[in-house]
Amino acid sequence: MATVTQIAPGAYRVEENGKQVVVFVAGTADDRWVFCNGEIYRERQTRESGTRQPGDRPPKGGHYDLNAPMPATVVKILVTPGQPVRQGDTLVVLEAMKMELPIRAPGDAVVQTVNCREGELVQPDRTLVELA
Amino acid sequence: MIKRLLVANRGEIALRIIRACRELGVESVAVYSEADTRAPHVSAADRAVHIGPAPASSSYLSTARLLEAATASGADAIHPGYGFLSENAAFAAACEESGVTFVGPPSSVIAQMGSKIAARRLMQAAGVPVVPGETPQDQSDAGIGTALARVGVPALVKASAGGGGKGMRLVDDERQAVEAIQMARREAESAFGDGTLYVEQVIDRPRHVEVQIFADAHDHVVHLFERECSVQRRHQKVIEESPSIVVTPKLRSRMTDAAIQAARACGYRNAGTVEFLVDVSGGRGAERFYFLEMNTRLQVEHPVTEQVTGLDIVRAQILVASGEPLPWVSPWITQRGHAIEARVYAEDPSRGFLPQAGPLLLYREPRWPGVRVDSGVEEGGDVPVHYDPLLAKVIASAATRGEATARLVCALRAFPILGVQTNISFLLRILEHPRFRSGEIDTGFLDREGASLATAAPPPMPDAVRAVLDSVSHESETGRSRVDASRSQVGSSVDPWERLTTWRP
Repeated sequence: MATVTQIAPGAYRVEENGKQVVVFVAGTADDRWVFCNGEIYRERQTRESGTRQPGDRPPKGGHYDLNAPMPATVVKILVTPGQPVRQGDTLVVLEAMKMELPIRAPGDAVVQTVNCREGELVQPDRTLVELA
Repeated sequence: MIKRLLVANRGEIALRIIRACRELGVESVAVYSEADTRAPHVSAADRAVHIGPAPASSSYLSTARLLEAATASGADAIHPGYGFLSENAAFAAACEESGVTFVGPPSSVIAQMGSKIAARRLMQAAGVPVVPGETPQDQSDAGIGTALARVGVPALVKASAGGGGKGMRLVDDERQAVEAIQMARREAESAFGDGTLYVEQVIDRPRHVEVQIFADAHDHVVHLFERECSVQRRHQKVIEESPSIVVTPKLRSRMTDAAIQAARACGYRNAGTVEFLVDVSGGRGAERFYFLEMNTRLQVEHPVTEQVTGLDIVRAQILVASGEPLPWVSPWITQRGHAIEARVYAEDPSRGFLPQAGPLLLYREPRWPGVRVDSGVEEGGDVPVHYDPLLAKVIASAATRGEATARLVCALRAFPILGVQTNISFLLRILEHPRFRSGEIDTGFLDREGASLATAAPPPMPDAVRAVLDSVSHESETGRSRVDASRSQVGSSVDPWERLTTWRP
């Protein structure tokens, strides 16, 4: 049986079988962040489906708008309307803060529209590709 | 002596420079964009000037706004830090013209070293070895193609104005040459407005070793030994150390001599870095090194040099820019022990190193003997989307490389950051990799192995984490106590002396 003792705001000492470790916690009941020994663990609750991890596929048969997560430049467009894609396929490559960000398909779908062009600067939440 | 120094930067480097000012008794002026109103560098300075909206192009990259801020605050000097306008010759020239001291080399030197072809020619003339290659006069596809044929594949087609891997193409096969030349030229034209290309031979599995140099206006040029930065991801350094494990005393003396020659050849002033590629394929004693480029500014990784030499590079920058002689002379500059730096970024390695922005719900720097943390953020602050997501540099110093590595691993394991994903677990996997431990790292190491290190499955949630999560959710359900380290609680302290606000002795 583990014993948990709060030692500071967000900091807990856990003792189990004579060994102890310090764990840091932040966030809300819906989105809990934990740090332990160099690793981050994140637990997100959604009302219907319990714990969901980032990158989980959305419900089947849906319509997805894939948006720019931040101001970025479109470096490469790898798909055209009508093209079927598999979950995880890279659709568009953005570049921001000197880094390339691949925008990947969240599930198996068909490309409906491509709303950006290579070299274009896009703002956050701008829809780049629509899938269905 | 400089009286009031405007720091044209943000984040950890702005704080580093502001603190050097305070130690020297120089007044500091911070500048900040709309997104940085509450950033730590703003409050750390003696004065602060708001310079514009969040996008860097209308704030930290705006020469006009920075010069206006210097005039308005009565600053007589500007330190550019690194990144932003630090290697922009036009900015340095604008400072010179408006009578503000630029803490760095003359604008003419920045311009000359910014052209890779001009820098190569200058170094060749000064007897500094450069990577074998061709700088063709004929810039047509055919002209570059002929140069490629003379150098032989594999070869790199590089942009003269390039940097950071932009405008650079590897040619393995002469049949792809025309396509590679056109792509490199297009990229260089769009990124730098200059499509001039040259061709370099490919060095097999090179190590990146750079020499810190420093020159004053009194004809002194010294070196502060080397740093090795072979752990790079897409030309971005991730881990840096000094000394380099491959640099023997003989090689060190040849490379530092070459770096000083390079600095003298271009009339260098202030702190600079001469980057070399080292080819160790010939074995110990037969290493070859080649001039890569010169960085005409303070480097992100300058702390590793400060740790092994015990010298303060930023303080010396301010003194030398004021016209004073270098505070140190070469015979007593020594390199002692070993220092390793890891760059902690708000980025998600498991999702293609996607930069992260958001609130720092919990952020507690490690306190560990021999560990220095240079950072620009605080618990309760925000990581804005607009800028480079560097949070902190953690530098471990010890007697040996092995001890310094162990120390850095312990410090990173004791560095909780919550609210944004960070690269800490990725850094730990590199530092614990057998090839890193044995020092068999070349600049391609992370390109070959980084993806598997980045996407390696995280360890299963330990029982201790589960226990805390259960305990926390139970307590919040029963309302016994508020345990969220959420923003409302951030900054609260368990130190009784801070809580006893009404207590008087």
